[in-house]
Amino acid sequence: MKLLTCPLNGKRNISEFTYGGEYHVMPDHRTSSARDWAEHVFFHDNVAGLVTEWWCHSASSFWFLAERNTITDEVIRTFKADEIYQQRVEFTAPETEV
Amino acid sequence: MATLDPTSVKRRSPLNQRHVTSHALFKEFGGNLLVGHYGDIKSIQEEYSQAQMLAICDLSTLPRLGFKGPGAPSWLETQKLKLPTLPNTAKCQHTGSLVAKLSDQEVLILSDIFALSNDVATLSHKAEIDHQNYDKQTYILPRGDSHCWLAVTGTQASEMFSKICGIDLRSHKFAHGDIAQTSVAKTNAVVIRNDLGSTPGFYILSDISGVEFLWDCLLDAMQEYGGCPVGVSALQRLIKSS
Repeated sequence: MKLLTCPLNGKRNISEFTYGGEYHVMPDHRTSSARDWAEHVFFHDNVAGLVTEWWCHSASSFWFLAERNTITDEVIRTFKADEIYQQRVEFTAPETEV
Repeated sequence: MATLDPTSVKRRSPLNQRHVTSHALFKEFGGNLLVGHYGDIKSIQEEYSQAQMLAICDLSTLPRLGFKGPGAPSWLETQKLKLPTLPNTAKCQHTGSLVAKLSDQEVLILSDIFALSNDVATLSHKAEIDHQNYDKQTYILPRGDSHCWLAVTGTQASEMFSKICGIDLRSHKFAHGDIAQTSVAKTNAVVIRNDLGSTPGFYILSDISGVEFLWDCLLDAMQEYGGCPVGVSALQRLIKSS
């Protein structure tokens, strides 16, 4: 059985988790180009080696991050998202002339 | 004993048809209709003995509510609730309701099984007033609509759970007040250990749309231990007799 450690709930069967894609530093949505934003939302680097990924523990809907080696499939560590995100990101649209 | 007609109330359990088929006799507690006991199967005294050994009870019509967000725990403390210190633990309030801390930013409040506590209704009302002016993020979660609420009781409950749940729920590993958010019968569930008197008890909260599946899975799993459904009267007697 493959196990993954949720930072909130502890070690659980991998079937309790959902993969959420690679973690990337989010560009500033107010200043980034459409191309850069699309790159952030839709494209993965698909690195062979150490990556940081989003995972969700489905039973608690708890999103967290995992550092994983994609070559060996070894999970180096998992950690809560508040290590990176300290406050809510507000997606306010820029004011435009009508 | 006169029974109540579940069609006469606004809210019925999604398991209502199964209860009616099993000749349930309904009782009202604080405006909520629950199965008091199952008429032609066992008397209340027999159901009480059954609940001490292994039984399942549907509590889905009882009040419950959740709050989520960075400001949720501190707001609830201003409402004089005693929150557990650690996530995945639950604490009984002096009103009888149970407060379960699901994470640092999420709390679940369950009514007592006598429906005497008014905490859920009070908090729901206060949240509507307070949160408009509250500067920290706090979001109300209508757990009464999203989650079913089942109780599994009895000395053989943890052994039964070992067939359908990967977490070790035996008493020396999973004590009164502990919470496991995990998979039960391949269904996402919150399992709260809440003993009723001296009898081991587990509350299960799971997606309400799948409660018929979960109910059948639990009945199937408890069959080999002689477990069966009981009404809430048996559970109430477990508390009263302690």
